[in-house]
Amino acid sequence: MKPAAGKTFNLSRFSKKYMLELILSFIVIVLVVTAPGFFTLPNILNIFRNVALAGVISFGMTMTIIGGEIDLSVGSSIALSAVLTATITGALSKAGIMPMESAVFVAMACALVVGFLIGLFNGFIRTKFNIPSFIITLAMLNVVYGSAALISKGFPVTTLPDWYNWIGAGQLFGIFPVPAIWLLMSFAIVFVIMNLTKFGREVYAVGGNPESARLSGINVTFVKITILVAVQVLAAISGIILSAQVMSGSSTFGRGYEMDVISAVIIGGTSFNGGIGKVWGTMIGIVFLGVINNGMTLFGVGDFEKYIVRGLLILFAVLLNTIQLQSLQKAAKKDR
Amino acid sequence: MSILNVRNITKVFPGTKALDKVTLSFESGKVNALIGKNGSGKSTLVKIINGAYLPDEGTLDIDGTPLKFENPSDAFDQGMATVYQEMSLIPGLSVAENILIGRYVTNGAFVDWKKTYAKAQALLDEMGIDLPLRELVVNLSVWQCQVVEIVKAMSCRPKVILLDEPTSALAQHETQILFKLIRELKKKDVIIIYITHRLQELWEIADTSTVLRDGVSTGKLEMAGAQPRDILKLMFGDVEVRNRPDDLKISDETVLEVKDFQRVPWFQDISFSLKKGEILGIAGMLGSGRTELLRAIFGADKADSGTVVLDGETIGNRSPRNMRRRGLAFTPEDRKSQGLVQILSIKDNLCHASLDQVSPGGFVDIKMEKNFADRQVASLQIKTTSIDLPMTSLSGGNQQKVVVGKWLNAEPKVIILDEPSRGIDVNAKQQIFQIIWDQSRRGISSVVVSSELEELLEVCHRIIIMRLGRFVGEVRPEDVTIEQLYSLCMGGEI
Repeated sequence: MKPAAGKTFNLSRFSKKYMLELILSFIVIVLVVTAPGFFTLPNILNIFRNVALAGVISFGMTMTIIGGEIDLSVGSSIALSAVLTATITGALSKAGIMPMESAVFVAMACALVVGFLIGLFNGFIRTKFNIPSFIITLAMLNVVYGSAALISKGFPVTTLPDWYNWIGAGQLFGIFPVPAIWLLMSFAIVFVIMNLTKFGREVYAVGGNPESARLSGINVTFVKITILVAVQVLAAISGIILSAQVMSGSSTFGRGYEMDVISAVIIGGTSFNGGIGKVWGTMIGIVFLGVINNGMTLFGVGDFEKYIVRGLLILFAVLLNTIQLQSLQKAAKKDR
Repeated sequence: MSILNVRNITKVFPGTKALDKVTLSFESGKVNALIGKNGSGKSTLVKIINGAYLPDEGTLDIDGTPLKFENPSDAFDQGMATVYQEMSLIPGLSVAENILIGRYVTNGAFVDWKKTYAKAQALLDEMGIDLPLRELVVNLSVWQCQVVEIVKAMSCRPKVILLDEPTSALAQHETQILFKLIRELKKKDVIIIYITHRLQELWEIADTSTVLRDGVSTGKLEMAGAQPRDILKLMFGDVEVRNRPDDLKISDETVLEVKDFQRVPWFQDISFSLKKGEILGIAGMLGSGRTELLRAIFGADKADSGTVVLDGETIGNRSPRNMRRRGLAFTPEDRKSQGLVQILSIKDNLCHASLDQVSPGGFVDIKMEKNFADRQVASLQIKTTSIDLPMTSLSGGNQQKVVVGKWLNAEPKVIILDEPSRGIDVNAKQQIFQIIWDQSRRGISSVVVSSELEELLEVCHRIIIMRLGRFVGEVRPEDVTIEQLYSLCMGGEI
């Protein structure tokens, strides 16, 4: 298209395309040199374990945002899922129906089904009444949180079998944290869906221009409902991992997680307008958040300061993406 | 009385001379219609009068006092007001707030709402209009919004008011209310320039009609004594209507049948059938219901009643998805907002209607996807260096080819094309026609709607005439001239 932009200095195109990766590498190098104990295997794996909870959901959120929707209620869904798993396990074993060891499987299945149903409900309201998902899920954030508190009566529920701890805190081969496996699995599955399946193509089309997608014969309603279900199911999985990590379920879990999740997606370059975004970018975004947090911890930065840094980071990332997008569009327009 | 004089205005864009030494005059106290086909230069002239463009040569003056604008707000300050067809009102504000926006009566830092509303009411009274001043604009109907726009423009006491197709989105009875207001404007000392595509309106509302063709003024008519054919002659001159290639055969097999189709108030009692390989044109003025008809056939909008039979099978559930599966394709009028996903790549867009084919078992066959895109880029001659570039990198004509290519990939039996040549250059137009003919040779039928009637004469085997939501006649291109076809669309006889 563009004799100007197409064949100019390749390094500038490369750096534009991989801006985020380059910045991340730079930060990592700085930390390797300056931060004591950063570049050790346990610490690196620790980073992955810390980001796993938000990370698992963030890939689902990537689909949702690319598809032109959002889910603000995932934090509450973590709590509900954790509370449900612990409560149902306790109830089944107490009633003598089955021992805790196997009851937890039923409980996990229930938590996943509930997540599925919440997503289905959100999707139904979204598509049937054409209400923005921002508003629906803002309301559901409260409903779901309230339900979790009601079920747990406001106290942590700890009726979980010992083996369950492995899901959230176990180590594969004595070193590799199990939560990181869930993170990688979530990444792999969503990556394949978004890049290699018909459904993935449909999500991009629907997010980019729902009317054009509809007139191309794409089932827009199905796509919107499915992405809203997917992010909820992943939130339920995240809730299971968290409850396994701390061996209890509480309605206070997951508060504010939606912000970490959405931050990772945005830092990864996904556009809030829908239609633009990459699953790989979200992976970078998640690692980015993890590395920054870890670095700050190593340097003894306080929690309050961490908030400020994280906030500025998001702003910076969005600025970067916007400027890049605008320059791309300008180039495309000039070319016409 | 005052007169706006346009003297020797020339405006050149890269590649085209939009206006060539145009000299015109418009008097106050009259409705001066400005007409011409798409590309005749009339929108360029409007933009020069309201300061959006600077002329390369020539001058504007009112009664000999020269006008000089650097930008639109300059022009506005010197009394040039424009009412666009796209609304500039703010939906969340009330009627009065919109009329007086930026000019509220203030009392220190606060708005004096009482006086502001009184001022707005006075403006309405002056023009003999009754509108609920406190109503939010979002709750108004389209014609009411147009009225608010006009009152807003008039409240600045302009010397010239440009009305850009104010009736294009209105129904018949609403048009009448608007006309009443425009006649009221004639009593003010303002020069009214009325731009329209609806030729049949001219006799009703215009006192004079100024015609542009290919950037040149071809004449000015007093409407009192004018006949439709006088206008058409000025608009078209001696158009050379080309013929379609003569090897295009129609088979006896019926592929599409539409029966008793109805969607009130857009169209009623529509029935027609289409043979394999046939190219059918639907001719009608703006607002005749042609776009709504096409959309309903494709299932983009729900019809009230009627049936669509495709290949002998009546289709019960008409959704775009189902119609596509049954072999129908639809390229919408507005390709930017309805036909394409602008931010996605050319490849993605070319495959959007054929995702089932390129992803057997739900997984995309990357190779096949690329082939699908490449074959359309090659056969439709889409000009691009890479299929991975976003749609925004393409020109209008090439974008239109992508919309068509997207549907050819779905291997349809019938293609419905709504204004396929809108906003694209002459060469691209010819290429689009060539594509339609090529499909006909392969036995694929087309239904074509176009505002450019000479295009229908060139492309189609048969043309149905649509007026006010009904089919009122059918002609063969070889039997009529363009002027006759226009006259039929406007409600006249051959």
